[in-house]
Amino acid sequence: MTRLHAEGVTLGYDDQPIVTGLDVRIPDGKVTAIVGANACGKSTLLRGLARLLKPRAGAVFLDGKAMSELGTHEVAKTLGLLPQTPVAPDGITVADLVSRGRYPHQGWFRRWTDGDDDAVTRALEATGTAALVDRPIRQLSGGQRQRVWVAMALAQDTDLLLLDEPTTYLDINHQVELLRLLRKLNAESGKTIVVVLHDLNLACRFCDHVIAMADGSVVAEGEPTAVITAELVEKVFGLSCVVVPDPVAGTPMVVPS
Amino acid sequence: MTATTTVSTTGAFRAIRRRRNARALVVTCALTLAVGALFVLTMMVGSFQLTAGEVIASVLHLREDPSVDFVVRGLRLPTAAAALAVGLALGAAGTIFQQLLRNPLASPDFVGINSGAGLAAITGIVLLQAGGLAVSALALAGAIVAALLMYVLAWRDGVAGYRFILIGIGAALFFDGLIGYMLTRARLNDAQQAMHWLTGSVGQADAAELRLLLAAVAVLLPVALLLQRQLRGLELGDDAARALGVRTELSRAGLLATAVVLTALAVAVAGPMIFVALVAGPIANRLLGPATGGIVPAALVGATLVLVADLVAVHLLPTPLPTGVVTGAVGAPYLLWLLATTNRQGAGG
Repeated sequence: MTRLHAEGVTLGYDDQPIVTGLDVRIPDGKVTAIVGANACGKSTLLRGLARLLKPRAGAVFLDGKAMSELGTHEVAKTLGLLPQTPVAPDGITVADLVSRGRYPHQGWFRRWTDGDDDAVTRALEATGTAALVDRPIRQLSGGQRQRVWVAMALAQDTDLLLLDEPTTYLDINHQVELLRLLRKLNAESGKTIVVVLHDLNLACRFCDHVIAMADGSVVAEGEPTAVITAELVEKVFGLSCVVVPDPVAGTPMVVPS
Repeated sequence: MTATTTVSTTGAFRAIRRRRNARALVVTCALTLAVGALFVLTMMVGSFQLTAGEVIASVLHLREDPSVDFVVRGLRLPTAAAALAVGLALGAAGTIFQQLLRNPLASPDFVGINSGAGLAAITGIVLLQAGGLAVSALALAGAIVAALLMYVLAWRDGVAGYRFILIGIGAALFFDGLIGYMLTRARLNDAQQAMHWLTGSVGQADAAELRLLLAAVAVLLPVALLLQRQLRGLELGDDAARALGVRTELSRAGLLATAVVLTALAVAVAGPMIFVALVAGPIANRLLGPATGGIVPAALVGATLVLVADLVAVHLLPTPLPTGVVTGAVGAPYLLWLLATTNRQGAGG
């Protein structure tokens, strides 16, 4: 039993199905990476899991119920998502942006409460952005900005957190920093995290579970050590390579040959 | 992460939030007072000077004085109420459009909504000799058609960016061209009437149109206030909004409908008064702090602008001019400044 899973989902844009008849289970309490070549459907799958895309066929289930039958507020209290390119309104401050993560916990007439203050505070502290509260987003570095967006998603206070390529525009140092943050969140609060990643080595190093996709279907899934082999990388990315243990952590490391 | 840091972070965050709320309250109250004062002042000045007390007493029916009542209730109250309602409507509609389309240039007067409403209304005035509620109905229909046209032409995965603005400006020019054509078809008398209306003036309000606009403002401003939360979510992009649990299509449709109806009815009453919708939101943000996007403060700024513009146009200038001339004279330099700074920052697109 997993809290989030998809059964036979077909997802796509306009008339183009990108993912067809896919079954995916997201293991609870773990950090899962979805990896694959460009345009293999990994972001599409994530958007489907987060109910941003309606399945053409099949269904996504959250806590055993079809997502399409749950209220959007209800889902938003359990499942958070950081999209690939969120928009920061011009001049918005960190405090304001992170506060907006509390949306699903408020109602038409429900006012801001101490509980909301606490949730925002926890999110700011967990992401190390507490010192930035007063600053406009525009003035922050790329790494800080991404941590603020993660803080907004955390303020939503959900058990499951999905992130769509959160490391894309970051340098190597900030990529590692962000993935360490996700690991920490998972370790401290047992959050289930799903993250779409480009970098296989980082995925192996920081994630418990890998879902490898090619051409809209899942090619392999499981623990990185079991899944990431030279054959798989050849198959998924078309890259001939050698897989060696990471000298620090011992996780699989892909070296082009 | 120790307990003490948590306490101080909570304190710091709470302090920021309180400060922002306090500022919003002060600004909103100050704007309300300013609008109230201007509203009364508009009715005091003129060839027959009155005191504030006389005006208030007459408007609230506290005292019966036939000559004062004639001037206040008969002559000045309709104009003042029109300026108030038009300003509130345009200010609210402008900031809703700008936030929804995530662009400071995206006010309804720039993306063809005003022009669409104007074209339909002018066509009615010139061809059908329409007046009163018929003009309101036509303006509303024109604004809705223009909005739908924009939606069909420009809506592809949301409307952020210059695509919508460029199509909107194109459509506005097209409508303006057709308005020009309609004017050439008009009889001299109708054309003069239409031209005056097109410049935007609160002094021409028809009683039935005005009542409709006042009712719309009374109903739709609270609706907009309720949808403010959804708007704050939508501002972050459709994906982020949906992830937060905002019903994006429904909320956007509601907000757009509110803004289009407010714009159309304001245009029907006072003509396509330009720049008020464009500047009200940014001025409110300047007062409240960046990205606050309050709809009610923007509406109050809109009302302040129109009331001041009307005072200037009618009383301060050597010859009385339509209100729209004054709002245009203030708005145009702002637009140039906006274009210059937006490009420099590379923002707003």
